Amino acid sequence: MVGKVALRALACALLLTCILLSLGTGRIWLEPAVLIGSIFEPKPSLAWLILSELRVPRTILGLLVGASLGLSGAVLQGLLRNPLAEPGLLGVSAGAALGAVIAIYFGLSAAFALATPILGIGGALVAAALTLSIGRGGTLTMILAGAAVSGLMGAGVSLALNFAPNPSAAYEITIWLLGTLENRDWHQLVLAAPFILAGWVCLVLTMRDVDALTLGETQAESLGVNLARTRLLALAGTALSVGAATAVTGSIGFIGLMAPHLVRPFAGHQPGRMLLPSALFGAILLLLADVATRIIPTAGQEVRLGVLTSIVGTPFFLWLVTRLRRMSP
Amino acid sequence: MGSAEGLHHNRRVIGGAIVTALALGLSLVGGGAVVASRQHAEPLIAMASAKPQRIMSTNLCTDLLLLMLVPKDRIASVTHLAHDAVEVLMPGSDDGVAVNHGTAEEVVLQQPDLILASPWSTPVMRRLAAKVGAPVVEIDSANSFDDIRRITRQVGAFAGEPQRAETLIAEMDRKLAELAHQHPRQPVEVVAWSAGEGVPGRGTLTDEIIRAAGAVNVAARMPDDNFSSFGIEELLAARPKGILRGRNGFDGPLLADTASEHPVIRKAFKDRTISFPVFLHSCGLPQSADAAVQLREALGKLPAEGVAW
Repeated sequence: MVGKVALRALACALLLTCILLSLGTGRIWLEPAVLIGSIFEPKPSLAWLILSELRVPRTILGLLVGASLGLSGAVLQGLLRNPLAEPGLLGVSAGAALGAVIAIYFGLSAAFALATPILGIGGALVAAALTLSIGRGGTLTMILAGAAVSGLMGAGVSLALNFAPNPSAAYEITIWLLGTLENRDWHQLVLAAPFILAGWVCLVLTMRDVDALTLGETQAESLGVNLARTRLLALAGTALSVGAATAVTGSIGFIGLMAPHLVRPFAGHQPGRMLLPSALFGAILLLLADVATRIIPTAGQEVRLGVLTSIVGTPFFLWLVTRLRRMSP
Repeated sequence: MGSAEGLHHNRRVIGGAIVTALALGLSLVGGGAVVASRQHAEPLIAMASAKPQRIMSTNLCTDLLLLMLVPKDRIASVTHLAHDAVEVLMPGSDDGVAVNHGTAEEVVLQQPDLILASPWSTPVMRRLAAKVGAPVVEIDSANSFDDIRRITRQVGAFAGEPQRAETLIAEMDRKLAELAHQHPRQPVEVVAWSAGEGVPGRGTLTDEIIRAAGAVNVAARMPDDNFSSFGIEELLAARPKGILRGRNGFDGPLLADTASEHPVIRKAFKDRTISFPVFLHSCGLPQSADAAVQLREALGKLPAEGVAW
């Protein structure tokens, strides 16, 4: 019991450190004392502008997006009883990206600010629904369906790139897809946050059901789990939170896969118990990665967040696959 | 594997045969016109006195130069990108001019007697153009007013309109001299910033335009030559008195436009944003001097005091 309290305290301390790091680092180095002092000094000052308009929204967005990815990864892994499940693998991220790209490059977001999150969520919902309905048969079919849906959504993005009305848009779409938290503002945060929070509620409601699902679908149903409802909640929750997050940040992979695996040894193997720690670790991982993009010395642009998480995530994924192969009979 | 290679080989042979057939046929029609590239541009200039009658441009910047230099009836086609820029710079001057997409097939179809290309135009197009006997001239991009003079003269010579080119250059030089004559005593610091990527610094045409207008380009202090990346934090810390934002005139929306509209930019640089036509900075044209004149005028309207932070 003491161990658990210590672990929780440690996780919270880690998160707090990441938040402070995220507020303290940037393209311009400002002394922590100057940053704190700017809160009380006359405004506008350089430190206050940078802190309040750039770093605080960036950090909050990082928290929300990371937690969404971690939480949905944990729910999907529990629901599908498959350690490889995550929003990216099931095509949800690609669907959200497609929706957002259409909203941005065909002028919808300029006409109507909510278009980007709504189309992002719409794309995520379509992708998730396709994957879940095609891949019902079992783990393997689900992964294959996810790959197919990801491919389809990717093709949709390519098509949008192909027909982008502005010649510079093709370049921009490509860069946008790499994912970043750079230069995000309060307005985008306020647009996405309600959807993300609503998604969290849906995902947390599946907590009890994913526990029962460890016994298998038939047993879970005999225990009173309404499978259709659970699937729908997981689907809607993932689409809402990951869809809205992707619409604001672009695609960020592997966080949803890594976070549940990192907490599993500590939180125990009960899927329902892993949801909140996974969300916490998702946020920690994303903030750490985002701080790293700002610290890694590059000549010009920042390393894109999605690129960094993929570079770190792929070896992890490969390790996971080889470990699973060893464990399977 | 072997069969795939065989197939590939077969395709190449067939493709080669088609191209050769086309080339043979068209070179007979064209009466063996001269094939040229930048390496042997000299004989081309001599040939230019013949005044080409069907000039094709495959690059936005040469499109604009061509439309300024040559009467429309001697232009075979300009690129599909030209129209938006023409609407901004010289409305109506491309009415009735055919359009190309820089593809090889269009070269065969339109049978030009001179092709203006950029060093980046597709190699296939150039190979085919060589085969159909249309001389291809590579025109560099311009990074300074000197480059603009050189390129305008070059296109003027090839297009058979050297006089017209000189007139345009003289007009540009007159405007530049006027600007230099009334140089402001206190140069203002500005930067051409949109969304932070590719901010033009030393060695770019934008930098020259800013200097000609009598201002100082903050990005010229960056360690990188040409273009550098410049985040919002760095922009705020550099405290320029004004920021220049390009309007490219293309219809489609761009994220760069919204990113420049980050609320902190809108708030911090309220009344300090100067918009400019991107084409005058990205293409070296005699009108690029107008960009400097417009900028000088806009600089005068900036608030006198420095930024508030």
